[in-house]
Amino acid sequence: MIDILERPAQTTVDDAPPLLELRGISKSFVGVKALGDVDLAVWPGEIHMLLGENGAGKSTLMKVLCGAVRPDNGRFLHHGQPVAIASAADARRLGIAVIFQEFSLVPYLDIAHNIFFGRTFRGRIPGTLDRRRLYEEARRVLDMIGFTIDPRLKVHQLGVAQQQMVEIAKALSQNARILVMDEPTAALSDRESDQLFAMIQRLKADNVAIIYISHRMAEVFALGDRITVLRDGQRISTLLPGEATPEELVRLMVGRSVNMTYPRHFRAPGPTILEVRGVSAETGIADISLDVKEGEIVGLCGLVGSGRTEVARAIFGADRVTSGEVRVFGRIRRGGPDASTKLGMALIPESRKTEGLALIHSVGDNLVLAGLDRLFPKRLFWPKAARRKAEEIVERLRIATASTLRSVRTLSGGSQQKVVIGKWLPAGARLFIFDEPTRGIDIGAKAQIFALIDELVQAGAGVLMISSEQSEIVHVCDRAYVMRAGRIAGELSRAALTAENILRLGMHE
Amino acid sequence: MSATVDRRPGPLARLPGVAAMLIVLVVVFALASPDFATLPNLSNVLVQSSVLLLLALPMTFVIMTEGLDISVGAVLTLGTLSVAATALATGSLVLAFLAGLGTGLAFGFFNGWLVAYLDLPPFVATLGSFSIAQGLALALSGGQSITGMPPGLLAIYSGTVLHIPVPILIIVIAYAVMHGLLYRTPFGTYIFALGGNREALVLAGIPPRLMLAAVYALSGLMAGIGALLLTARLNAGHPTAGIGMEFDAIAAVAVGGTAFERGNGWLFGTVLGVFAIGILRNGMDLLALPSSLEVACIGLLVIAAFLIEAIKGEQP
Repeated sequence: MIDILERPAQTTVDDAPPLLELRGISKSFVGVKALGDVDLAVWPGEIHMLLGENGAGKSTLMKVLCGAVRPDNGRFLHHGQPVAIASAADARRLGIAVIFQEFSLVPYLDIAHNIFFGRTFRGRIPGTLDRRRLYEEARRVLDMIGFTIDPRLKVHQLGVAQQQMVEIAKALSQNARILVMDEPTAALSDRESDQLFAMIQRLKADNVAIIYISHRMAEVFALGDRITVLRDGQRISTLLPGEATPEELVRLMVGRSVNMTYPRHFRAPGPTILEVRGVSAETGIADISLDVKEGEIVGLCGLVGSGRTEVARAIFGADRVTSGEVRVFGRIRRGGPDASTKLGMALIPESRKTEGLALIHSVGDNLVLAGLDRLFPKRLFWPKAARRKAEEIVERLRIATASTLRSVRTLSGGSQQKVVIGKWLPAGARLFIFDEPTRGIDIGAKAQIFALIDELVQAGAGVLMISSEQSEIVHVCDRAYVMRAGRIAGELSRAALTAENILRLGMHE
Repeated sequence: MSATVDRRPGPLARLPGVAAMLIVLVVVFALASPDFATLPNLSNVLVQSSVLLLLALPMTFVIMTEGLDISVGAVLTLGTLSVAATALATGSLVLAFLAGLGTGLAFGFFNGWLVAYLDLPPFVATLGSFSIAQGLALALSGGQSITGMPPGLLAIYSGTVLHIPVPILIIVIAYAVMHGLLYRTPFGTYIFALGGNREALVLAGIPPRLMLAAVYALSGLMAGIGALLLTARLNAGHPTAGIGMEFDAIAAVAVGGTAFERGNGWLFGTVLGVFAIGILRNGMDLLALPSSLEVACIGLLVIAAFLIEAIKGEQP
């Protein structure tokens, strides 16, 4: 494998300097080396894919690019000329715009104010904003990306995908010449992703340089002109898509060979443990009927917004059900999440940071939280016993943490997800509902999460899994239900479970 | 994704809880007392609410940043003493006013420094300033009122311009300025971001600490302006003049529908909240109910406002 930092062959103008070049960028945080001597170059009209596991240094590199973090060492060259990126203003002046995965949006400001946040259209009265201009410009930017939405809507009223579009509009409004995107499709459905890709191609044709961080191999090969792999804060390699296979890239990312196939042992299903009959809820889902048997992983797919999360919440009792019934282990579920938990059901939500974890608390506290009743039936809390239990789970799930006393916030996305799953083990859960279990998690951790889910199922649990990644559903699930506009559009058996069938059932007529 | 399924609230649910409560209060008191729904009385409610409004407006900003300023009542008290002492010593209303402003600003900056730069929890920081201000007020006054004000002072509270009482003019101007500041200036968008997403400020290259400190400074400044108005009202400086005002201000903001998290604030709601508290006090005075009961009723008002919002949140 050749390592190329030079200009890719397929671009047109020869020996022009790169639009932006980073040389020997290093950064340490209190003794931990986040970036070590990283080189990176992007040319106009290039889509440069950046790959790496969580903790490989991608986010630090992004923060360096947008001026939020100043490197300890290293140089920036813009059109071959040395420049400084010491502040957000510097980055903006150079035409660098960064789209973060953790949104940089303000919930109770409207879309237009968010797009132009921190920049002003001066109004007639000194110090005020020209609101008419603001909304006109916002409309123009939104039209540019083909996003038809009222710019006066507040951001907290939007869904994740819509927020992502606002985030993109915000970046483009700065007339970005260098656009940095962190897993932009993580929250998008396939159709929305396609729209995003079309937009990226338009930007590319317009000679915008794009640095694109992704965990999805299909995207890396479909979009990338060049691929740079980071590991442990170092640039491991930069290569052309034609030179590498997905397996090679994964090996470069993790530094060892990882079995990319999904770890799944199919077995004959046992008795039905979840029975949903004709459930409707005020959240927009209607007449939902489905089953999950012991030893099964059942997929729940459909476009983002088709009501998958709402189904999960209705089954769990987090939203009020207006008709129909839910039977768990043969017993009718009455009451809220508390009752569901007692029946042995666990919901692992999509936004683990807000719903699944108490971030400021320790790994140990989070792990025993859901099972307190069962661990301490006499209602007396024994810290030592709790700690032993937590350590046992950490070991069993191979959660990467120095100690059970560490704050959950300090863990990587994959480890956090394991904590969310692990906290249900002491609670004795045997029916798990996963909502996008691998969102924002790198490939190495993904395989581990699936191995864990497989292990749960082997031990006699049943799983209902929501996922926007069809390949996950196809490889992992025994069966799948496809949703469309709040209803179940169809069920696919293992034999019929293909990406095409999921798409065909899930698409709007 | 949960917000994609359309959940548009009905017209009744869109009526803010505080507006509904205000209507109920007005109707009840209008029926119970013939003196309530008269122009002089309602004008009186506005005048009597003026000092509280000056405190509650910036308190909205503070709470939108997920903070709290419980020092404003004591700063207001100390402010009236500064105003009164300066007026007594110099006979100049301008100097007296500046002394009040200076007192307010000093505590505002102090709070801002503690909260924004030393990262103290707002409750603890402003509880400290509360004690300092109250202690200074008692020490400076020796527990006595400062009286013997120059003749012009009274006119600030009881005078009229074009038949409109001066305090009403002051609060109209104060609201206009605060509204403009929150909804029409970049600084206003930073206030939303301080509570909603501080990272957004960092990424946009705006110093969050400076902005947060400015919000507390504004709260102190407005307490200084309130001190002038309150001194004029009492025609004296008094060591307990502003006692408990911070709780009324926080209650007004809460009643007005500003949430204590994520920068979810509504400035006009605070105005309605202040009026709700003002009308409650005024109506109970007219009905000759004991004033101790008023405090309890304000508590009920706060709880009712939150209940209404919670019930509305559940019903689509």
